[in-house]
Amino acid sequence: MTRMRAPYSPVPTRRRVHLAAWSLFCSSGIGSDGLTGGGPGKVPGFKARSWVKDRKSLKLMGRSVQLGVAAVKAALDGVPGWEEVPAERRGIFVGASPQLGDPDDLSYALNAASPDGVFHLRAFAERGIDLIHPLWLVRGLSNNVIGFASAFHNLQGVNANYCDGRRGGWNALTEGFQAVAEGRADIVVAGGADAFVGAERLLGVPCGEGAAFLALRPAQPDEPAIELGDPAILQGIDDELGYLGAAAAPVAWVRANCSA
Amino acid sequence: MSRAEDPIVITGVGAVTAAGVGSDALLDALRSDRFCGVSWGGALPIEHVGACRDSVPSHPDFPDDRKADLAFSAAREALDAAGGWEHVAPDRRAVFLGTGLSSVTPAELESDLYPHLTAEGRFDRVAMARDLSTDRGAPRRHMPARVTAGLRLELGAHGPSATSFSACAAAAQAIGEGLRAIRRGEADMALVGGHDSMIHPLGMLSFVVLGALSPSRCRPFDGRRDGFMIGEGAGMLILERASSAHARGARPLAVLAGAGSSVDAWNATAPHPEGLGAGLSMKRALRDAGVAPEAIDYVNCHGTGTPLGDRAECGAVSRMFGRNAPPVSTVKGALGHTIAAAGAVEAVASVLAIRHGFLPGTVGHGSLDPELTVDVVGAARDTVPEYVLSNSFGFGGQNCSLVFAANALQARS
Repeated sequence: MTRMRAPYSPVPTRRRVHLAAWSLFCSSGIGSDGLTGGGPGKVPGFKARSWVKDRKSLKLMGRSVQLGVAAVKAALDGVPGWEEVPAERRGIFVGASPQLGDPDDLSYALNAASPDGVFHLRAFAERGIDLIHPLWLVRGLSNNVIGFASAFHNLQGVNANYCDGRRGGWNALTEGFQAVAEGRADIVVAGGADAFVGAERLLGVPCGEGAAFLALRPAQPDEPAIELGDPAILQGIDDELGYLGAAAAPVAWVRANCSA
Repeated sequence: MSRAEDPIVITGVGAVTAAGVGSDALLDALRSDRFCGVSWGGALPIEHVGACRDSVPSHPDFPDDRKADLAFSAAREALDAAGGWEHVAPDRRAVFLGTGLSSVTPAELESDLYPHLTAEGRFDRVAMARDLSTDRGAPRRHMPARVTAGLRLELGAHGPSATSFSACAAAAQAIGEGLRAIRRGEADMALVGGHDSMIHPLGMLSFVVLGALSPSRCRPFDGRRDGFMIGEGAGMLILERASSAHARGARPLAVLAGAGSSVDAWNATAPHPEGLGAGLSMKRALRDAGVAPEAIDYVNCHGTGTPLGDRAECGAVSRMFGRNAPPVSTVKGALGHTIAAAGAVEAVASVLAIRHGFLPGTVGHGSLDPELTVDVVGAARDTVPEYVLSNSFGFGGQNCSLVFAANALQARS
């Protein structure tokens, strides 16, 4: 057996992490417009077509994925020369909830399953399946932000997608930060995206939507380093902007740290 | 101590699969090349599903939640096998799980969706939401992190935790997260793994409409392959430092030597045709483990039996290992594809292979696709692999590879 020396020390050499750029989409606006104010509700003026030119891809994206893909692009656009980082060293860490899909996508199939006004599971399988969009399942995947954003920006590096409700975005930030600090990536986009506007009745709380991403890379000697701080930063964001799911922590972090 | 001197070891495993409840059932099925599928009597154009026929205890806090039942059963087995973790402070116990889309039960389809279909063929969403909100179980059943939270609560784990959702790579990603948490010193023990069941009407039809399910048999790496058999299951592993296991007299089953992830960055719905991301994740896992490709004795492939997936993975394996590529196989022909749980079920299979000295066979494989240049383990082989590479690749292009090793066992046994 041939062994090679492990390339890392047991606890990888920690590097200082620099916040190279950030993006923010929330009810008070996009980018620096969104740093203050706002309330529960939609991101004003967000047009997905302005951020995603590929119509075919756009059709496969739910609202939260559109917001997330746009926010990843906005964060990367703020980092001069990020394309020079080898694709294998570009990481992406995302917090996002699964989207159960538009129930109307199932309506024709359910109609076909009830010829006598009563729902029949067998009829649903026999006649309904062909009436469902082949990518119905794929549309609902929580990791679609990574799927599309990585394809658009050639992000082949370390990655993770978290589905932990409001904690998901915080997990993405901390793991993305660690990936840079441990030398596993030379640039990382980390953040979260979710869209709950319309789910107020189900969740019983005011709801919002949003996305925010940090572009992180190793700090040069003359650059400031950041620490992420404490997840207590989340407190109050729901009262301010409504339930944001996995977008809550990244949105809260940007609003708290990037206003200067 | 260095990583080599004090590796992260696995001291307990648990599994629920189509082979039955428990890792012993899985071991028996893999050693005997048993096809574990059951006939599917429904109307969908498939012949078998990889459903667990054994009775899986139902958790009272998770009514009508198959995924939760699978997870709790496997987790209890893994923790019992490891000798428990009461000696570890609650805030030093970590839980990292991979999971998939929520289970939409037939009852939900019939009771929650159908009644709200209007004469115009649209859904009355207000009525639908009101109906759901009266069923306390329904919204909870759709929260991906519910099982992670439930296990943390039941097992008193207040340390780091996360729920990975990266399609079929989710469980492998979660195992990698647990590995890093212990390496960083953030936890002393970690419960890692994954759970999933898409054996319900919406789950299965989703894969049928995608064209991913074989209408007959899953035939991995075979020229006639046409898709996979849908499965269900959970796999759980207990991780800790070798020094910690040694100190309390726990016997390591194997070493989790490394993990690597990548993204295809190609297409959200199809694998890279040449397995670019697959190759990258394998390369990173090997580098993380500190082993050269020629040290790998066996590759536990993702091997779904789809035409594109097998071709991409085998191409990546051939490029990575060259002429001396190790034998490969996949357990999906026997068990079905357990989707988000696959990486964990296959991690348990890899540990069993190391522990019991065999390479699992590829049930359903007949003759090798002439386009593929890999050495497929058709029937289980008795041999002791020292290093095993296990692959998991998911929709969205997320990939994760894990390296398991036996080498520290000899030194400590």
